[in-house]
Amino acid sequence: MLELVDLTKRFKQQYAVKNLNMFIEKGEIIGLLGPNGAGKSTAISMMSSLVEPTAGDVRFNNNSILKKPAQLRKVTGIVPQEIALYNDLTAEENLQFFGRIYRLKGAELKRRMDEVLDLIGLKDRRKDIVKKYSGGMKRRLNIGVALLHDPELIIMDEPTVGIDPQSRNYILETVKRLNAERNITVLYTSHYMEEVEFLCDRIYIMDKGNLIASGTKDDIKRILSAEKTISIKADRLNEAFIKEIKEHPLVNNIQVEEKEITIMVAKEVNIFSTLIKMAEDASLELSSVAIKTPTLEDVFLHLTGRALRD
Amino acid sequence: MIGILFAKARQFIRNPWTFLIFTGMSIGFALIMGITGGSNAIRVPVTIVDEHLRDTTIMSELKASTSFDLQEMKKEEMLKHLKNGKAEVGVILKEENYQVIVGVDSVRVRMVENMVRQAYIHYYQQQNIVDAANMVSNKQKDLLLYDMEESMNDPVFTVDSKGFTSSDAVVYNPTFQVLFGFSLFFVIYTIAYNVLPILTEKNEGLWDRIILSPVKKWEMYVANMLYSFFEGYLQVLVIFLLFRYGFGVNFNGRFYDTLLLIIPYVFAVIALALLITALVKNVQQFNAILPIIAVSMAMIGGAYWPIEIVESNALIALSKINPLTYGMEILNGAVVYNYSIQHLLYPISILILMGVVMIGIGIHLMERRHI
Ligand SMILES: Nc1ncnc2c1ncn2[C@@H]1O[C@H](COP(=O)(O)OP(=O)(O)OP(=O)(O)O)[C@@H](O)[C@H]1O
Ligand SMILES: [Mg+2]
Repeated sequence: MLELVDLTKRFKQQYAVKNLNMFIEKGEIIGLLGPNGAGKSTAISMMSSLVEPTAGDVRFNNNSILKKPAQLRKVTGIVPQEIALYNDLTAEENLQFFGRIYRLKGAELKRRMDEVLDLIGLKDRRKDIVKKYSGGMKRRLNIGVALLHDPELIIMDEPTVGIDPQSRNYILETVKRLNAERNITVLYTSHYMEEVEFLCDRIYIMDKGNLIASGTKDDIKRILSAEKTISIKADRLNEAFIKEIKEHPLVNNIQVEEKEITIMVAKEVNIFSTLIKMAEDASLELSSVAIKTPTLEDVFLHLTGRALRD
Repeated sequence: MIGILFAKARQFIRNPWTFLIFTGMSIGFALIMGITGGSNAIRVPVTIVDEHLRDTTIMSELKASTSFDLQEMKKEEMLKHLKNGKAEVGVILKEENYQVIVGVDSVRVRMVENMVRQAYIHYYQQQNIVDAANMVSNKQKDLLLYDMEESMNDPVFTVDSKGFTSSDAVVYNPTFQVLFGFSLFFVIYTIAYNVLPILTEKNEGLWDRIILSPVKKWEMYVANMLYSFFEGYLQVLVIFLLFRYGFGVNFNGRFYDTLLLIIPYVFAVIALALLITALVKNVQQFNAILPIIAVSMAMIGGAYWPIEIVESNALIALSKINPLTYGMEILNGAVVYNYSIQHLLYPISILILMGVVMIGIGIHLMERRHI
């Protein structure tokens, strides 16, 4: 349905997106994952015809959209990263406005508005001014606007950023439902591995403008097959211990949190006894040491040596 | 496009404060300044030494002057006024003669003196005639005076002279000056704050959303400008209507013409606002720059005071690229000087040209920067 070919965007000397290749088939939910500044939003702007690429092509149903974006625009709904709504208008008025500019009117417009309000769960708040909405409600309406013209493809740029878990779950469920019930194709962007794991069939991972991994969830986790992830927990970590682990030659990657250290080691290495000895030397009381099943988060750590979110 | 206008109108109804504040300010300032500087008469403190002067033609003649506004006060007070520079010249009126006290020597001193002398001369001419006819009865005396007045009102030939500052010489009429000046000044703000959303909505991603819809980009610019025009025009309209029908300021019979003649100015200001919006990086910069531009435009364009006061050549040159200069020129030309619209075509076309150029540059810059 949508295909990106060596898509590149350069701002001055810096590449925001470099040679990105990607495809989306009808009915899929695709995840696009990456930390801050990975180039996700830039990629989305290019594939939705808002920004002209420096190089490469975006093809929609095998036609380049660079010169003729109309076909794509008609059937695509974009959920921008920033909330793009009229704050002084009510939810209903916002929908009415965006419906009108999509040439919807009369009974048809009303039917679509009701449907969308129902879907995003804002039916009884429809007459409230957006300014007075909670962050989660604004996010929901931000999505709702993109659904108004009944798109076949929706592209969502971090639609759950900065909201409470409840609204977040609601949004995730809604996306799943849209895909399941109406066969809407979805491109979902996020920092959150767990969201992408929950939603997506296939995943693309970007970092610093480059595509660093892609495939199904299992494909990607298989990247880790040569390694295992070990989680070390303690109530109070101390510097001496962290330093020791960091300097240990068998440890490939390390991620330190407040009460937990995650490390990666080659599959065949047995490091348990060494760890316990190091803890003793640093007079640290461990609360647990365990092998974890790898997550996408771990894949990112493996690929870049950095955590997805710092 | 209708949809965009509709949404704008809705936002306006929900949030009319900018509009109301600036409309209110224009009216308020025009009223306050119009009252304090209410007439263009120069104030002259007067001390009347001889009470019986009050009933003579000297007083009535002096009071009838439109160029000077007599303010009666005690001698000490008058001297204080002169010392503080509150007045340039004072007059002490006595039975047989008068005394002009000069604080600051200026053209006005001679004008005041002239006027007072004329009043005394007229009075004594009358007195002499009456005295000469004294042998007749009182009744005849009245008749004689009446005849004399009649013949003076209907002279064989007239010499029409105009005083330098008297109102029929139309050099400077503060009512219109203040009304037009503040209307044109404050409307800059209303318009600018209606053009600003082009920037904020772009930054918020609203424009991107609209661009993806079947609405064309030029429609968005046009809709925004149309709406700004509507609000700016509405503001001037409200103010002028209020002064015309509320306060009875008659626009020298050119009221409907002025409503037509402000259109080029409003258009040029929209273009200017668009250019400013294209040049600034964010709303803070916009808020900082707008008053600087608006106030300097008002100062060198003749909104606060008559443009003739501006003397520096550099400022005069600047005033030539200032839309407000031409806005004032058009309104003053129509209402004060009673020029026909054909006579005003020059400033009108300059405003339209300025508008077209600024819109062109503004949109070009904006498109290049924000894609
Ligand atoms: N208009 C622009 N001008 C210059 N640089 C830009 C511009 N837009 C983006 N960039 C740069 O391109 C890179 C990618 O930005 P982008 O917004 O695409 O990242 P992202 O993956 O969406 O990040 P986030 O998760 O924070 O939203 C960043 O380094 C950013 O600074
Ligand atoms: Mg982004």
